[in-house]
Order: sequence, then C-alpha cells, then structure tokens
Amino acid sequence: MLEGAEFYFNVDHGYLEGLVRGCKASLLTQQDYINLVQCETLEDVKIHLQTTDYGNFLANQTNPLTVSKIDTEMRKKLCREFEYFRNHSLEPLSTFFTYMTCSYMIDNVILLMNGALQKKSVKEILVKCHPLGRFTEMEAVNIAETPSDLFNAVLVETALAPFFQDCMSENTLDELNIELLRNKLYKSYLEAFYKFCKNHGDVTAEIMCPILEFEADRRAFIITLNSFGTELSKDDRETLYPTCGKLYPEGLRLLAQAEDFEQMRRVADHYGVYKPLFEAVGDGSGGKTLEDVFYEREVQMNVLAFNRQFHYGVFYAYTKLKEQEMRNIVWIAECISQRHRTKINSYIPIV
Amino acid sequence: MAARDLRTQVDSLLLQLLRDLEELEAKRAALNARVEEGWLSLSKARYAMGAKSVGPLQYASRMEPQVCVYTSEAQDGLQKFWVMRASVQTPEDVGPREAALRRRKGHTRTPELESSPAPRDPLNWFGILVPHSLRHAQTSFREGLQLAADMASLQIRIDWGRSQLRGLQEKLKQLEPESA
Repeated sequence: MLEGAEFYFNVDHGYLEGLVRGCKASLLTQQDYINLVQCETLEDVKIHLQTTDYGNFLANQTNPLTVSKIDTEMRKKLCREFEYFRNHSLEPLSTFFTYMTCSYMIDNVILLMNGALQKKSVKEILVKCHPLGRFTEMEAVNIAETPSDLFNAVLVETALAPFFQDCMSENTLDELNIELLRNKLYKSYLEAFYKFCKNHGDVTAEIMCPILEFEADRRAFIITLNSFGTELSKDDRETLYPTCGKLYPEGLRLLAQAEDFEQMRRVADHYGVYKPLFEAVGDGSGGKTLEDVFYEREVQMNVLAFNRQFHYGVFYAYTKLKEQEMRNIVWIAECISQRHRTKINSYIPIV
Repeated sequence: MAARDLRTQVDSLLLQLLRDLEELEAKRAALNARVEEGWLSLSKARYAMGAKSVGPLQYASRMEPQVCVYTSEAQDGLQKFWVMRASVQTPEDVGPREAALRRRKGHTRTPELESSPAPRDPLNWFGILVPHSLRHAQTSFREGLQLAADMASLQIRIDWGRSQLRGLQEKLKQLEPESA
C-alpha cells in the first residue's frame, strides 16, 4: 500500500476521526475524579456524573442505585457511541471494528457457557452480556456440549469462526476446558488482529502493532501468574500464550517453565520494556499489583495513539480509554458503597 | 462463712465474664476486618476481571454447603459450635468429658470410599485462572467463618455466665439480711 495515509484517509474516515477525537476530549479529567472521590453515597456520584459528558444516563434507574446498574448504563452508552462509529464506517475500517468486537463476543460466549454449567436460564445471562459483543447466534450457545459442537452448530457463521482452528476437540466443556477454550480463542483472535494491522501497514500498523504486542505479552504474564497453584499443566499453559508479542519465542518458552513470581520477574528482566513495569509492582497487599501496572502502561500507550493522525488506532485507543474510565468509576463507587476509603485513590487518571 | 464463699465465687465469675467479653470484642473486630477485606478483594477482582465476571451470574441458585456447623454439649452443659468441612462424614468421637473446642479446619481426611466426590472449590466458579485478589477474598471469608463459630460459642458462655452471676447475687442478698 502506498505510504501516505494523509492523502487518502480523510476521504473515507475523516468524519469519524474528528468525531472520536471529540469524544476523547470529553473523558473525565483529574478534577472530575477528585470530585467523585469526595462523594459520600452513590447518589452523590450520580449527581456529579450529571455534570460530565455522561449527563442524565442514570435518570431512569429505580432506587436503590447499585454499582452494577451504574456499570451497565455506562456500557450501554459506550455501545451507542461505538455502534454509531461502526454504522458510519467504510472498509477497511469496518473490518477493524469487527475485530474489536470479537474480544467481547468471546467473553459473551464464555459467560453463556459458564451459565449453562451452573444451570442458569439463557435470558438471565443475555441481559448481562456485553452489548458490544452481541450477535444473533448468541442464544443458542448453551446447547453445545463440546467445542466442536459449538463451532459446527452455532458459531460457524459468525466472526469467531476463523479462530476455532486450534480449539476443536471432543472434550466436554467443564470449567477447565472452558478456560482453555477462552484463552485459545483469544490467542487466535489476537494473532489474526495483529496480522490484519500489520498487513494494513502505514500509520495504523505503527500505532496498533506495539499496542497488540503489549496485549499479547500482558496476557502471557497474567496467565502465568494466575496459573500458579492450579491444575493447569505447564504444557497446557504454553499453548495459551499469544505469539504476536515481544516475548515470542524465547520469553514464552522461559515463562512456560516459571513456577513463581520471582522466576517470572527474571524473564521480564530480559526485556527493556517490561523490566521497569515489574519493578513498579509492590509486594504484598500494600502496593500496586501486576494488573494495575499493566493497566497504567496500557493507558499510556493509548493516550500516545492520539498524537498521530490518519490511522485507525484512535478508535481502538478511545474504546480502551473509555473502558479504563468505567473501571475507575466502578472502583470509586465500590469503595464508596463499602465505606472502605483507604484505597479509593487507586484509579488510573487519563491525562 | 457462706457469704464470703459466695462473694469470692461472684468475683471470680465476674472476672471470667469480663475476660470473655473482651475476647468477644476482639473477635468481633477481627470478623469485621476479615469481612471488609473480603469484600474489597472482591472489588479488586472485579477491577481485574471485569465487573460482570464476579457476581451472581457465576454461581448456581442452589448449592451444596462446603462447611457445616456442628454443636456438642460440653461438660458443664454448655453448647459449643464448630465449623467443619462437609466432606468429613462423621466427626471424630468427642470424648464425653472433652470440653475443649477443637479446630477441624485444615485437618483434611481422606474421604470415605462410599462418600460423594470431593466438592468443587467455589473459586472455580469464576474460572481456573483467577487473580490473586479472588483467592485472597476466599481466605478472608474462610477465616471469618471460623471466627463466627468461636463468637457464637463465646456468646453462649457469656449468657450462661450472666445468669449464673444473677443467681449468685440473689443468694447473696438472701444471706446478707440474715447475717446482719
């Protein structure tokens, strides 16, 4: 593709880029967070959010206000914005948006399968599914008993179909297999998304590829950390690592052999990007967890994406930043409703 | 004299009562701290996993208890409570003179051959790869359970102590006018 997105980009995507930059400017500021932290009840939080871009989004909620309701309404708002972008997009931006929704679709599929295991009704779970990952075949997911079943009967016509190559098996879907399915699907999805961005080239590849490499490596680290002390074998663990990151191949091989946090840290020390992140992790219950540190780095990378023009990364970055804002608000709301304010300032401001 | 004996009895009973009350307060503060810690760890898990991944969607509306409360009568007729894993079919024979509260938590026994399969860890409702905050929450709530059983036993002892104290004080009052 001829380099020089600045010549062609605005023809098809200029309006949407302008729109998303406007949306980004209305994210909550540090002052908004300071006001939220000082609230005493969830009603106060609702009042403060009315003065921001959220407006009266909680107006139709019946008493009492819960954190779960706030989260659901925020998600609906994000979904409305995203659907607007998606409906007005042209190729290849539309494919880019489809790739973005795949991760939410995977989460919804897993939520439905877990619900089937716990004998919950489909209607109950559909209400709680992520709106960005909605697709028509969702309701039939709970009938499948094995991954091959799931693919052949339900998902073969959906956007998730190409990610099933490594996941076909006849094992019944119990908790371990559902977890393996989730991670394998996500691995295939991430690698496919990475390839798409790389093939697109231009500024999009320059912005999106490092972000997706970081996402792949972050997943490898978190999977390793959470697998200590579980029944997941080291070989199984290695099959779950996405290979489109900086850690591939030596780092992933070392990570697969790690047995505790210290060994993981030694693997990270080989990489200039990850060494300072691991050094920022506090020990015990006092300081930051590894997830916090990774979220901070993600926010940094997403904010920097807005410094370049004429690329699709701004849409991805805006969605991720909005999600971080939702996580922040939910965290503050939970601290307020539990009246446990010691850690209320652990949110990540978006500057 | 009968009155002096009674008074020493009243004193020792009062001291025991106050000690029990202090222990109860300490246990209550510890239980509150554990429960608060547990809830905050759940919020942290929601932050890491997504707000809808740790909630009522993940557990069945009907579930088998993992831990049961057992009671027994001790030597002085007081009831003692303790919590035990439900997989243990029969508790060890508590000797009839045994008054001590025995901790069973962490005391794993191989399940009897005919017993049902070992109950699944509720942590796995949320997936196999769960963040450490969720495990931390489970530990906090488990410790809270043990504390709750201890507190129940203590409260029974305190109530009994108070009624004993009242009885003794009545007897004292009856004796005093006679000796006057």
